[in-house]
Amino acid sequence: MIELKGIRKSFGKNEVLRGIDLTVKKGEVVAILGPSGSGKTTLLRCINYLEKPGEGSIRIGGFSLDYKRAGKKDIHALRQHSAMVFQQYNLFAHKTALENVIEGLIVVKKMNKDEARKRGVELLEKVGLGAKLDAYPSQLSGGQQQRVGIARALALEPDVILFDEPTSALDPELVGEVLSVIRKIAKEGITMIIVTHEMGFASDVANHVVFMDGGVIVEEGTPSELFGNPKEERTKQFLKRITPELIYTI
Amino acid sequence: MEYGFDITYVFEFIPKLLDTLNITLFIVAGAIALGLFVGFLVALPRLYHIPVLQNISKIYVSFFRGTPILIQLFLFYYGLPEILKLVAIDLSKAPVLLFVILTFGLHTGAYVSENIRAAVLAVNRGQVEAAYAVGMTGYQAFTRIVLPQALAIAVPVFSNLVLAMVKDTSLAFTLGVMEMTGKAQTLGSLTQRYMETFVALAIIYLIICVTLERVLLIAERRLNRHNNRDQETRSWFKNRKRASLNQLTRELNLDKKEVPRYEA
Repeated sequence: MIELKGIRKSFGKNEVLRGIDLTVKKGEVVAILGPSGSGKTTLLRCINYLEKPGEGSIRIGGFSLDYKRAGKKDIHALRQHSAMVFQQYNLFAHKTALENVIEGLIVVKKMNKDEARKRGVELLEKVGLGAKLDAYPSQLSGGQQQRVGIARALALEPDVILFDEPTSALDPELVGEVLSVIRKIAKEGITMIIVTHEMGFASDVANHVVFMDGGVIVEEGTPSELFGNPKEERTKQFLKRITPELIYTI
Repeated sequence: MEYGFDITYVFEFIPKLLDTLNITLFIVAGAIALGLFVGFLVALPRLYHIPVLQNISKIYVSFFRGTPILIQLFLFYYGLPEILKLVAIDLSKAPVLLFVILTFGLHTGAYVSENIRAAVLAVNRGQVEAAYAVGMTGYQAFTRIVLPQALAIAVPVFSNLVLAMVKDTSLAFTLGVMEMTGKAQTLGSLTQRYMETFVALAIIYLIICVTLERVLLIAERRLNRHNNRDQETRSWFKNRKRASLNQLTRELNLDKKEVPRYEA
């Protein structure tokens, strides 16, 4: 279970997060939606301290932390509980697909190499890249790179996987392969928080949808509640604007 | 007597000059080792914005990049013993080579530090974030993810530094070191065949530099193999056993150096 309380974050004078409370149950797939600049990505990056929140606290997999009092060790400990899939993939450019997946296992989890390798091969096969073990990121398509990114996150067996707009940088024809992999692992009961613009995907895969705007959570609920019967005016407006896309993707 | 250029002297002088090649190479090796070490130490405070130390780094770099190497040699050779005399360290019997290597080392260190700094900054910020997200410490992220990529970026500029260093060592003769240029001076005055000695000297420097250039190019290719989309070149070193001389020269051909691709 993940519990965020009173998260605030400013970039200079610009307050991007104005007090976010969010609870994510174990095994839940949370989709965070909202217009650009609403603070979705910043919130996600606060969870593993890639951004330093000004205020707030987090509880994740039995580990709790007050952001204001976080030291180096706390930050390091916090990061052991999550893994992230980036918009720009961010695969380690000088390592092969397999090395990317097992890097964390060997360096952070201190697993022995053979064991890590075995697990890495399994995971890459699972995301459909069993034939690309020794390819460098520069030799892979965007969709393939992102699937390696997902395998890398899965390898760590974290309490939660954070997805930061995993398909936004992809060619439209490659989006499908990445979404189908995410869909597949969602069924395995792995807790996930996904920032996305793919409404159809969010309503289909998520079981908890959060709508953010202006640094606050405007509305949250199940997909049918939020998409079918939004209560807040701002949510209705947002959904109306992206409705054509919604129909198209479903 | 009219002066006639005689090529046979060139061939005669080359082996004589090569006798002192080891001194030249010793200066180069010592200076580069010291330069890499110092360059790294000097680059770190600026990369991590450590107060005070980063200002010292900046002054150090400005001094060594902003003054001629010849003057630095004189300053160190004549000035350093005087300064150290004040703290009761006697350097009057220290070998000249020590001063030469020290000066060249510190000089290269200034350039290497800028080289390293630029290369580290050129590594995509996302790489560090990914390393942190995987759970690495700052040290692990730097040594395992950033540094290997930075080295690959740094090699071409570093190659320039090494080649410049090889040629700059010829200045050591001004302090009386009998390296190749010093030897050439004496050979010239001894035989009055200046033209031939310097032609011989130029040929030797050229061969050394071209060889180093090729060797560093191999290092560059190897460190950059992750940027090469052609799968075959990956096993470049593993295939060595089967390589023919022809194939070797073809692969080392500088013209075929792949132009890096930049993605949006």
